[in-house]
Amino acid sequence: MTLPDRSTLSRREYARALVAVGGATALSACLDMSSGENGAENTVPSGTDDPDSLPARQYAWNEFATRDDKGNVEPPAHHVLLPLALTERATADGEPTADARETTESTLRTLERAYEWSTDGLLFTLGYTPSYFERFDEDLPEGVDLPEPAALTSREDPAFDEFDALLHLASNHPEVVLEVEEGLFGDQEEPERNGVVLESNLIEVFERVDENRRTGFVGAGLPTEHTDVSGVPDAVPKDAPFFMGFRSGFDRTQASEDRVTIDSGPFADGTTQHVSSMDIQLEVWFEQENHYQRVSKMFSPEHAAEELVGDVGEELGADSGLSDERIEATAADARQEGVVGHAQKAARGREDGDPPLLRRDFNTIDGDRPGLHFVSLQHDIEDFVRVREAMTGADLDVPSANNGILHYIFVNRRGNYLLPPRGLRALPAANPDA
Amino acid sequence: MQDFTRTTDETEIDRRTFVAQTGAATGVLALAGCLSGDDDEEDGDDPDAENGDENGSGEDYGDGRPTIEVEDPPNAVYLPTHREAMRMLDPIEAGDMMLGPMLSYPHDFWTIAGSGEDAVERESPDSGRGVHMMFTLWDQQTGTVLPVDDGVQIRVYDGDEQVGSPVSPWSMISQEMGFHFGDNVTLPEDGTYTVEVTIPPVSVRKTGDLVDRLDERVSATFEFEYDDEFRHEVIGGVQYLDEAEWGDRGALEPMDHGDHGEHGGHDGHDDHAHEDEHDDHEHGDHDSHDDGDHEHDHGDEHDHDSENGHNGHDDHAHVPYSALPRIDEYDGAILATADDESGADGVPTDHDSLPRSDDAAILAALFEDGSADAERLADDGEGDVTAGQYLLVSPRTPYNRVPLADAALSVTVERDDDTIVGPDAALAETLDSEYGIHYGLVIDDTQIEPGDSVTVTIDSPPQVARHQGYDTAFLEMPPIEFTVPEQ
Repeated sequence: MTLPDRSTLSRREYARALVAVGGATALSACLDMSSGENGAENTVPSGTDDPDSLPARQYAWNEFATRDDKGNVEPPAHHVLLPLALTERATADGEPTADARETTESTLRTLERAYEWSTDGLLFTLGYTPSYFERFDEDLPEGVDLPEPAALTSREDPAFDEFDALLHLASNHPEVVLEVEEGLFGDQEEPERNGVVLESNLIEVFERVDENRRTGFVGAGLPTEHTDVSGVPDAVPKDAPFFMGFRSGFDRTQASEDRVTIDSGPFADGTTQHVSSMDIQLEVWFEQENHYQRVSKMFSPEHAAEELVGDVGEELGADSGLSDERIEATAADARQEGVVGHAQKAARGREDGDPPLLRRDFNTIDGDRPGLHFVSLQHDIEDFVRVREAMTGADLDVPSANNGILHYIFVNRRGNYLLPPRGLRALPAANPDA
Repeated sequence: MQDFTRTTDETEIDRRTFVAQTGAATGVLALAGCLSGDDDEEDGDDPDAENGDENGSGEDYGDGRPTIEVEDPPNAVYLPTHREAMRMLDPIEAGDMMLGPMLSYPHDFWTIAGSGEDAVERESPDSGRGVHMMFTLWDQQTGTVLPVDDGVQIRVYDGDEQVGSPVSPWSMISQEMGFHFGDNVTLPEDGTYTVEVTIPPVSVRKTGDLVDRLDERVSATFEFEYDDEFRHEVIGGVQYLDEAEWGDRGALEPMDHGDHGEHGGHDGHDDHAHEDEHDDHEHGDHDSHDDGDHEHDHGDEHDHDSENGHNGHDDHAHVPYSALPRIDEYDGAILATADDESGADGVPTDHDSLPRSDDAAILAALFEDGSADAERLADDGEGDVTAGQYLLVSPRTPYNRVPLADAALSVTVERDDDTIVGPDAALAETLDSEYGIHYGLVIDDTQIEPGDSVTVTIDSPPQVARHQGYDTAFLEMPPIEFTVPEQ
């Protein structure tokens, strides 16, 4: 792999490009860059020797993140999704060996010693696919809804994540996600961080499925740093945290971590995760539609007519400004306005007014095209499917081009995962109680 | 893939025509090969600019895209500045459908998301390099052009490399092309490109020979050459109208039909020859309507056409034009306009006497319970077929009968002071194998009678992108009141 050209990119662009490339040389370049700027490279807080001090939920991220002045969680800036396939030597009679479990757990504990569990250090989850659990004689316990992924609209023909596991690494520091990946799967000397050598035999347990490695970023201003990428127009607003130019993840549009948590059975304190990867057509979105049209399609026609949003969503506080009336008016808007908003539609998937999904999605330039890795946590995969159906809006009497943002998203992959509780994160059996 | 558009000789003819026209019209347009590359030079750090230099930045369209500025166009269908030139490729199969690809230079057009002024935006392509990619989709079995937006997608490849992001092309209407799908697609450099089109199931309500069909997601692939020759062809083939005509009320004739309609030799459309008759008929009609609301004399238009030798489409594999049937093709009772309550005199008898809503011609017809049409139109293959009358409302463009799809219409039927249907009962957008796209309602729990008043409300106007000449019409559409005539 070739490294991006430092001379033509800003520091942050360069960092993002390095994460996308990955590998030892990218890590080294990234460390050079951060030590060069800061004088000292070690600015990442260190972790803990006491695993019991860490939350039982792998996805307990919110209280370890900062919040903006409106109270919205600020997600970590840099993300890597590592798809993992069990090696043959990690299994006996098809099931994972005790050694493999031990290696996996000790590797993850090494990470927890090296980095603080926070957006400033490292946050991660390890999830498992339905394909992984198929190897066991027992079924997943009742109360765990983890179907095989499926195409969810008539227009998509996605590939499916059929490998075994997915490690989601997230940090505000690009060098952290890079060096963790390198420590786990690189063939160079193990990196050292905060006095902890990232040594690991995880490679004995898992192979990285390179072609499905995914990376990305989120945060105000980050998307505009990619206007050198083909397909990312200069018109992306400067302050936009997401490619499509508006804020997302408003506190009150997000499920709480409690809401998505499996509350009983062996996987209590676990959750389900859906990961879909899609292209986003930004040139048409920004160059052929005006702000009024974009607000109509992202939020609702009323948001546009009453100027509720501002340039990038800054007029909205901790929610997306959707009253119950506006959500209920979705079908009527389709006919009366000829256009409905994405947020308005998706909110129809709420249960008793509560959003069922905890979104942890991020933008990407994987494949040198703008896209989105949509990562969401929910109690049941069925919750995701329901929201997605509401968001697809096949029931609405509105042409596709004006049906929220459907005109602009092109789903390429889908995967479903179980995120077990921390205590069962290392190669769990389908029914650990059996 | 073979290009059926023109032979070299034809290109020469077109270019001479073009030069003559340019002289007569404005002189705004320069030959593609003579353009400067100013557009790209401003953009110094655009990596594509370098490619452009290698290819010769003078070879893109630059400022050479035909001018389309019409000062103060009417709020109605109007004549644009010019006729388009395009390269038409061999139609290809996509499951039960056919797809006819057409390519031109990047176009200005108008997108619409709603109904007010803010909801309309003009797309002015800023990249000189690329194509306006269009295609018409039709059902092989019935010949029906598919005028609905269900989320068609295109992906462009240069060999194995995907070029840019996928695109969902807009559903669009243009005077010459009728209903089609299209968008501007930027291309990095000259070369041979492969386009993969995927078409989701047609989800609109379907009747007649379309019931339970077109339910599969299908795809098709075509290739095209993007090069100097192409650019010369699509720019050089442009024909300007006389500047005095720009913005006049009227419309260019359909490319596939009008070119030939009055002059014979119209040989395509074997599988629905009745449409040919419509056209001949309609063109013949025009003289008698010059004193109507047509300010533009269509008779001249056709003469003009023949003088210019606007040809080049004789020998391409034919792509159907999305014209709806003529008024006398509808077997039901055509509803009278309410201005004339006597019925007979107020019943429109030809296209030009249809009532207008923001310049859309609105045809309304009532099919009696038990008639073959009512039975067909009531049966969409979903659940029990309910017998009853069928009310059909068919908005179309005022000259070329292009269907105005993806609007929302509702209806209220009143008798004396009673509301018989509605108020504001939603009409279902429906694609019928005989009457094409329309908005309809099965009347199964009451009976509409002669003398009833039928008010058609356009809840939202057709949400289709527009080429020049359609951009100021069909936007703020007032309701139309009809009366059911005596039998």
